[in-house]
Amino acid sequence: MQRDEIRSNMTLSPLIRIIAVRLAQALATAWVLATLCFAFVHALPGDAALRIAAARVGEDRLTQEITDRIRREEGLDRPLIVQYAHWIGRLAQGDLGNSLVTRKPVLSELAYHARFTLGLGLAGWLLSYLIALPLGLSAGLRPGGAVDRTSQGVAVLLASTPSFLIGILLISLFALSLRWLPPAGYRTGWHMLLPALTLALGLAAYSVRVIRNAVVDVRSAFFMTFAQIRGLDPATAFRRHGVRSAAIPIVTFMALQMGYVIDGFVVIETLFNYPGLGDLLIKSLLARDVPMIMGTGIIIGLMFALANLLADLACLWLDPRQRLQGAT
Amino acid sequence: MSAIATLGISNNAAPLGLRVGIALIAVLALLCLIGPWLPLADPNAQDLLRTLAAPSLAHPLGTDHLGRSILSRTVHGAPRSLGIAVICVAIATSVGLLLGLVAAAGNRWTDGLIMRLADLVLAFPGLLLALLLAGLMGGGIIPMMIGIKLTLWPQFARMARATARVTLQEAHVEAARLAGLSQLHILRHHLLPPVLRQTISLATLGVGAAILSISSLGFLGLGLQPPTPEWGAMISELLPYVAEAPVQMAAPCLMIVTSVLGFTLLGEGLTAQLVGSDT
Repeated sequence: MQRDEIRSNMTLSPLIRIIAVRLAQALATAWVLATLCFAFVHALPGDAALRIAAARVGEDRLTQEITDRIRREEGLDRPLIVQYAHWIGRLAQGDLGNSLVTRKPVLSELAYHARFTLGLGLAGWLLSYLIALPLGLSAGLRPGGAVDRTSQGVAVLLASTPSFLIGILLISLFALSLRWLPPAGYRTGWHMLLPALTLALGLAAYSVRVIRNAVVDVRSAFFMTFAQIRGLDPATAFRRHGVRSAAIPIVTFMALQMGYVIDGFVVIETLFNYPGLGDLLIKSLLARDVPMIMGTGIIIGLMFALANLLADLACLWLDPRQRLQGAT
Repeated sequence: MSAIATLGISNNAAPLGLRVGIALIAVLALLCLIGPWLPLADPNAQDLLRTLAAPSLAHPLGTDHLGRSILSRTVHGAPRSLGIAVICVAIATSVGLLLGLVAAAGNRWTDGLIMRLADLVLAFPGLLLALLLAGLMGGGIIPMMIGIKLTLWPQFARMARATARVTLQEAHVEAARLAGLSQLHILRHHLLPPVLRQTISLATLGVGAAILSISSLGFLGLGLQPPTPEWGAMISELLPYVAEAPVQMAAPCLMIVTSVLGFTLLGEGLTAQLVGSDT
């Protein structure tokens, strides 16, 4: 009985804490974005109703009648605090409104564009580990060797290159010179390869070094020496005891990289004219389409929180020490 | 934070990297200082008869799609990109350090308030907040600077708070307090040195990150507005002509990579040196 209680404490409480933290993170981003957008709509000089009307029907067909109707519909004639409460309340019900430009519901636009971004993010992320894992492992197993020095040099150079430059280089090489791949747009799966590779190279520039350092640290740990004293050969010792320990900093780093993934896809999608959320965000920002900006921002914030949650859970699963922390 | 820490602790090539970093930054600083006074063409003077011209004596790096001198635009872009980055980091560092120290010294409520504020900013991935601010406020230098500073300060606040809290527990601080030395003396002689030591390398890396952010915002059309010669905006303007004008394209690209590389190498070199001297 008592034992069961201890066990449930051990596994449950850090889990709940992690989920609560990430839920708070998601809610906080949504609230800040909503407030920011609200402040923007009401802080701009001039008549908000007039602006919305102009965005909807176009400057030339604008009449007083339409403006007044929009003022009533959007509740722009009520006190600011009431409007704010209404704004947040609508968001809390999951109503993101309609795009000012296309007039379609924001939610359906987001659903359409999100799958392109998820595909790109996932492909880029997987590709980055396809590049970084073998390089980082071989560099970490022979620190100071040729692979180590070359990969570190290339990594520093790549990390100093903005993602749009990596993309331009890849387009020049693979699309314009060699003509192997399409340069931009999205029609077939091949169109995803160059943007994904751009994202992957930017990510791998950082993760190669993290993987290398994790492997170096684990190899010099006491438990590895002990495993070898016990008679395991180095390769078996590393497989049985090293991999899991080395994975912890690597997985933690994956979550930190999500920030880069999101910067990356906003810039990369714009460069490649790829119909994902980043492209949508930039286009809405340039068009001042506030409901769309808010919706895109919130969904990106949610994706970030979710990715962090997954990384936290993975660390909890890999590292028994973290599970024990909650029990004390 | 920990990403930067992880990156910093490495390799035996640090002294070389440090020297290269210092050299790169020295050259760039010189360029920023004397660049605007060099006898170059007006960076905004258009010559529509000589668009996308190949490198010549008059325009050593060629001209862009409006016939403007690439060399002149690239040189004039240096004080903008680098200057804005340095100013942003300087302000973000001071604000971050101040808030971090207040959090470490203050009671539970101030500490909680400041740290939750930092968490709130860190809840936004990467550039998103800067992007939204710049976009909603219509681009330009002020929204961009606010956005970049806003995303940078929490890491300095967290670092200052963590370092200060550890230092305050140490014996020499206790001894100073028992010896009756003033709060100000403890702050200046016991607290600031370790905090500043950590700050220098973090701030140097921060300048590199800020240059990347500025050029990315410029590339997206949400940073400095045309016709200002800014490297990111130049690249985005030249992008449709990349096949015809590779030299013109390469100039701002190389400048961005060189300056970020310089600050990264310097920052990492400093971290390696300081970590070495601490242990």
